[in-house]
Amino acid sequence: MQIRGFLAGMTLACAAAIVAPPSIGAQLGVQRERNAPSVYAITNAKIITVAGPAIDRGTVVVRNGIVTAVGATVAVPGDARVIDGNGLTVYPGLIDANSSLGLGGDAGAGAAAGGRGGRGAVGRGATPAQQATAAGAPNSLHPLGLQPELTAVDLLHPDAEAFAGPQSAGITAAQSAPATGIFRGLAAVVNLGGSSAQAMIVKAPVAEHIGFTPQRGGGYPNSLLGVFSALRQMLLDAQHYGAEQAAYAKNPRGLHRPEIDPSLDALQPALSRQMPVVMEASSEREIERALDLAKEFNLRVIIAGGDEADKVAARLKAENVPVLISLNFPRRPQASPDADPEPIRVLRARVEAPKLAGKLAQAGVKFAFEDGGMSNWADFLANAGRTSEGGLSADQTIRALTLSPAEILGVSDRLGTIEAGKIANLTVTRGDLFTGRVTQVFVDGTPIEAHAPAAANGAGSLASGTWTITVTSDEGEKSVTLALQQVGDQLRGTIQGALGSSQISNGSIGANGELQFTASVTLAAGTEEARFTGTITGNVVRGTVAVVGHPQGTFIGTRPDAAQGGGRRGRPPQLPGGGWRVEGGGGIRDGRPLTQRWLLRRIGELI
Amino acid sequence: MQIRRTLAAGSLCVLPAFSLGAQLGSFNPPPGPQGTFAIRGGHIVTVTGADIPNGTVVISGGKITAVGANVQAPPNAQVIDAGGLMVYPGMIETGSSVGLSEIGQGAVATVDIQEVGSFNPNAQAFFGIDPHSAHVGVARVVGITTVVSRPTGGIMSGQAALINLAGDTPPKMAVVPRVALVIELPRSGFGGRGFARAAAQQGSPADASRTRQLQMDSLRSMLRDAEAYGKAQSAYAKDKTLPRPAHDVVLESMLPALGGQMPVIFPADRANDIRDAVTFAEEMHLKPIIMGGQEAPTVAAFLKQHSVPVIVTAVMHLPSREDDPYDINYTIPAKLAAAGVQFAISTGDRGSEIRTLPYNAGMAAANGLSKTDALKSVTLWPAQIFGVGDRMGSIDVGKMANIVVTTGDILEAKTDTKYLFIDGRPIPLDTKHTQLNAQFKDRP
Amino acid sequence: MRRLFLAATIASAATATAQQPATMKPGATLIKNATVLTVTKGKLENTDLLLQNGKIAQIGKNLTAPAGAQVIDATGKYVMPGIIDPHSHSMADAINEGSLSVTSMVRIDDVLNPTDVNIYRQLAGGVTSINVLHGSANTIGGQNAVVKLKWGRPVDEMIFKAAPPGIKFALGENVTQKNSQQAAQAQGRPLRYPATRMGQEEVLRDAFTRARDYKATWDDYNARIAKGEKNLVPPEHNLELDPLVEVLEGKRFVHAHSYRADEMLMLLNVAKEFGFTVKTLQHGLEGYKIASEISQAGTGLSSFADEWSYKVEAYDAIPYNVAILMHHGVVATVNSDSDERARRLNIDAAKMMRYGGLTEDEALKTITYNGAVQLGVQDHVGSIEIGKDADVVIWSGDPLSVYSSAETTFIDGEIFFDKKRDLTMRDQMAKERAALEAADRGRRATPVIP
Repeated sequence: MQIRGFLAGMTLACAAAIVAPPSIGAQLGVQRERNAPSVYAITNAKIITVAGPAIDRGTVVVRNGIVTAVGATVAVPGDARVIDGNGLTVYPGLIDANSSLGLGGDAGAGAAAGGRGGRGAVGRGATPAQQATAAGAPNSLHPLGLQPELTAVDLLHPDAEAFAGPQSAGITAAQSAPATGIFRGLAAVVNLGGSSAQAMIVKAPVAEHIGFTPQRGGGYPNSLLGVFSALRQMLLDAQHYGAEQAAYAKNPRGLHRPEIDPSLDALQPALSRQMPVVMEASSEREIERALDLAKEFNLRVIIAGGDEADKVAARLKAENVPVLISLNFPRRPQASPDADPEPIRVLRARVEAPKLAGKLAQAGVKFAFEDGGMSNWADFLANAGRTSEGGLSADQTIRALTLSPAEILGVSDRLGTIEAGKIANLTVTRGDLFTGRVTQVFVDGTPIEAHAPAAANGAGSLASGTWTITVTSDEGEKSVTLALQQVGDQLRGTIQGALGSSQISNGSIGANGELQFTASVTLAAGTEEARFTGTITGNVVRGTVAVVGHPQGTFIGTRPDAAQGGGRRGRPPQLPGGGWRVEGGGGIRDGRPLTQRWLLRRIGELI
Repeated sequence: MQIRRTLAAGSLCVLPAFSLGAQLGSFNPPPGPQGTFAIRGGHIVTVTGADIPNGTVVISGGKITAVGANVQAPPNAQVIDAGGLMVYPGMIETGSSVGLSEIGQGAVATVDIQEVGSFNPNAQAFFGIDPHSAHVGVARVVGITTVVSRPTGGIMSGQAALINLAGDTPPKMAVVPRVALVIELPRSGFGGRGFARAAAQQGSPADASRTRQLQMDSLRSMLRDAEAYGKAQSAYAKDKTLPRPAHDVVLESMLPALGGQMPVIFPADRANDIRDAVTFAEEMHLKPIIMGGQEAPTVAAFLKQHSVPVIVTAVMHLPSREDDPYDINYTIPAKLAAAGVQFAISTGDRGSEIRTLPYNAGMAAANGLSKTDALKSVTLWPAQIFGVGDRMGSIDVGKMANIVVTTGDILEAKTDTKYLFIDGRPIPLDTKHTQLNAQFKDRP
Repeated sequence: MRRLFLAATIASAATATAQQPATMKPGATLIKNATVLTVTKGKLENTDLLLQNGKIAQIGKNLTAPAGAQVIDATGKYVMPGIIDPHSHSMADAINEGSLSVTSMVRIDDVLNPTDVNIYRQLAGGVTSINVLHGSANTIGGQNAVVKLKWGRPVDEMIFKAAPPGIKFALGENVTQKNSQQAAQAQGRPLRYPATRMGQEEVLRDAFTRARDYKATWDDYNARIAKGEKNLVPPEHNLELDPLVEVLEGKRFVHAHSYRADEMLMLLNVAKEFGFTVKTLQHGLEGYKIASEISQAGTGLSSFADEWSYKVEAYDAIPYNVAILMHHGVVATVNSDSDERARRLNIDAAKMMRYGGLTEDEALKTITYNGAVQLGVQDHVGSIEIGKDADVVIWSGDPLSVYSSAETTFIDGEIFFDKKRDLTMRDQMAKERAALEAADRGRRATPVIP
């Protein structure tokens, strides 16, 4: 645990958010906790309550974690620490509708193979959430990845440093679910702050989570085919289990005691529609499949991701299914001169991504925004702002970041608006939410400075990009272009080139760069499914290719270095300040030199 | 349409009894002896000139000795009645490795297509080809009489052989035992040739470029060494006072290519790779043939300007990009023809499927190439590209008697072969497949 | 942003990828003066064909077009039924669940991808229906999907609803993983059972024995319910065994990938013992060696035209296979098992005339009517007869000629491929690409990664 030492420099009268384990309290000697009063009043601020019209100039009063008053003419209590809100806007604390924030085991503990199925050991470099879920549920009768009883609550781990990024985007609370698996587990709504795991919990459990990415490791299910059947069989088993348990409870005499199965137990509320089920689905067909599965078992489903939800809008509306729209819009990959050009389908998806929310709004589909596995938190609000391209108004966007997720997650009685009596989660900005800057957030009534996030930790871009790959098989060497997009632990993309063109499936990426996906390839004998398994190290990917009936092949490939700019054959980009020559091996981006070699060359030109 | 069964009626060939043992290659019956034959009354497609709707072809001593509407059969000739049939020159498949690989998956002992190491200019297909490969028999009965069979892999793969599909030993098959050198240039963007083997544990894209650079340097230095070697050898031959240069089989093997007498096959499909190959060849004074040519239409002007021929193996390939038009590869030959680029059509198959060669040409004809050009692209043009255009590829007096007599258009799938001559020898139309058919078709 | 290809509006008509023609949906189409290859009722010269309400409404000379009908002058052209490919792995996001030897619970239905551009390329080759099969990774694979290639439509509009369900079995080198055993052992991975052909029989026997017992459990339960017993908890549903019970009851077709004659015979005998008929042997390249046995079993066979020698079990394959089987009374077809070959099945059918002497109609049947029989949809498709679905293709010439190409492909009376329209689309696509690239680059906020 780390104490945020830099808070010592703060001048605003905000209490430092000291996230400290009890041991530090013991180190302080006498006091176990600090007894600083926690009453704040933000005055003279613009206030967007979401519960009513905007207040141009008003005051919000927070006491002991609850909003006690908000309005244009609210009195400031005598004991309050006053924050001058001149030039500031106060919003209800933003809610990330779907994430894995706040989950993590002991960092650096590595692969604790507790419970069954300890495969999928993760090492250093794994996110805390992935490490935690690698351990699995204790005493489960089902393998890792098919353990619906796993709960976010058991994995909660307050980590001020990990929260800094989301907080800089104004996020104060999130639905948090285990990061991997098919039945991923039970999510909780958590506040991104607090001194203990328990203090984080706002409501738990709120939903069961289902993902459709088959796991690495080779056991069943190792393909999307098996994923659906495994889900279906477990849900059927859960129905049967419920009937069995009910029959036994009614009259145990003479019946053999049915085995208790925590996994099937955990599915009962979902089957009875008491608990919603969040399903990860982005493309049109993925969403249709998720809705079909939900219909088959009468589940109350919420779609998460939803990139092509507009194509299914009518059905979503008719079946009353909300969508948690990912703000992790696809990014344009580095140009690679040897690579095949991107398909129009991919270009279109990138250009149209911001317009989705507006289309859903028009179609009357309920939605909220989620981070979608982004690693660059500056994207969260920037992309939320871009939804205006689809006709979404600022108010609608704000609602989708506040009250709508609260409603969808069943916590709108305590979060989502600024109203007296609700939890004091606030987001304070200088300027407009989408174009200004988040200055601070309040979480459970405790103010926390927001700082521009550090450079993206790179996890999101581990796999994303355009790779040029040579596949060596019993038919010789073939060149292909692999365009990948990483979303959380899932991989999507397209393969084009000497093996034909195909969308990849069953794609996943581990924290250490372990990569797996399948694609249809056409060899001389016919069209087969090739399973690519490999590792990404920096900008090189290498691994093996397995095609049923063929001896194993290998593949290796590269992605352009950021520094290479136009690459071997491309025309060097025209740069501001004109006339800088760019050669392979060193480059310029945004006018800022990246390598020393470049610097020397520049000096050489000046001389 | 009636199909007449291919029973060798009034046959010229005695069908030897074959054991149907499963060992490779008991299935290619040997050719009959050369003699004098007159194929009479057929519709002759000469390829070089106008068709002769009702004419006679005379074969003697392995050559075509007469062609025409009013040609008389010599008195001692065996006469073949070709009434109602078509007479074509044998087709030539230039993009395969026939005889070097029998069963690709699961029987590595039958695969001799790729030698170990990156630089094998002296690895000759001629010494790896199995004349008794069952692929030989089944391919020739559709009218493919001649193939260029090449090794693959590495950077210098070896030397291809131009062989007839008849003869029970390689010398008997060979028309040109060493017809072309094969060089597979490393490609930078895709990790360089053999990057998979060369890469260090922690690779980077810079490594890929570096590997390629090293490989290109090695290739250049090898060719330059060979050039120097050749110069020293011929200098010594004229002037024995010079120090006697040692012999080197590897360098020796590259001399014909460096002298421009032997062309060099460069497999290349992408536009950049095609350009690189041609540029490299010109730098090193080699005579390039592009093998593959999937993106050749986009560099057609360049190819024409540099007079580089292309063996198109991509006609039946799936489009490699999602947004490509569905017929992008079917139309390659038509585009090259329109641009004036010299080309031939090939299946690109290693061996067992080369019998689909005529249909590749047919598909090109269905997509913009004229029917006559389509036929040329599998007869005369491949012969010319490999320097044997004066010896085969058409029905002309003086050429090798590689002749196919068929029931219809040789590029059509329903067409059957009635008679086959290779090097002026009659070829029995029995193959492994006809034998198995005979054995099982009436099994109760 | 212009949406160039959406014919319909907001709702579900999916714009799959750029190569999606606004499907031309006339109420009726009159194709005039073509050579109509009915396949079952001979070749009709200078004949008109009326397609109406998705069906073949009339066949004859000098038909009158109903009001509003689209009229196509097909003088000099040929019309044949849409090609049916009985073995395809197109349009699936997963082909194999290879982790277990028996994966009968998985369903291709769950993973169909209607945006696979290969659908469009096959339409351009005159294919209208395909049998999307699970792969050959295991002895008992997954359930299939029979699909009409309605490019641009959502999946449930593509499912061929009249087709009875099927399941994929596989035997031979792929299943026993012969070609990857060495690599597996070198990497220390255990081999999956079965690793020899001996084990295949065991897997089948065991699976069907378990299915029989499972069926008995349910039969008992149903009997007790029928007798009025109350408070019974039903047995569990076992998704692995449910489809095998359907096989035992003759309600689900078995399509079995197999090469060697002896293992095909083994399968036919196991099936007989358990009381069902294998619907088709897939590839069955040595089927000619046991043609009578296959015929007696009532099993069909779907083969390649002339592929062979790519693996050891294909070394004895002969292109006469289909003809020999047909002459023994087996319903035989030619399939592709390849996105590439699927585009030119007409040429493969023509090869059957030289290899085995099939007549034109017999050759055409191998890619149309016989496939419909093998998939149980012969009452709906596979020939040009009044009342059947309007799945027809206009060809530039005789489809059995290499020089011919498909010009217009109809499914249920709608055009899903048209050569002229395709050319127009190319321009539109180029323009759309340019517009999208400009919009994409113009966006200042999109940084490049990493």
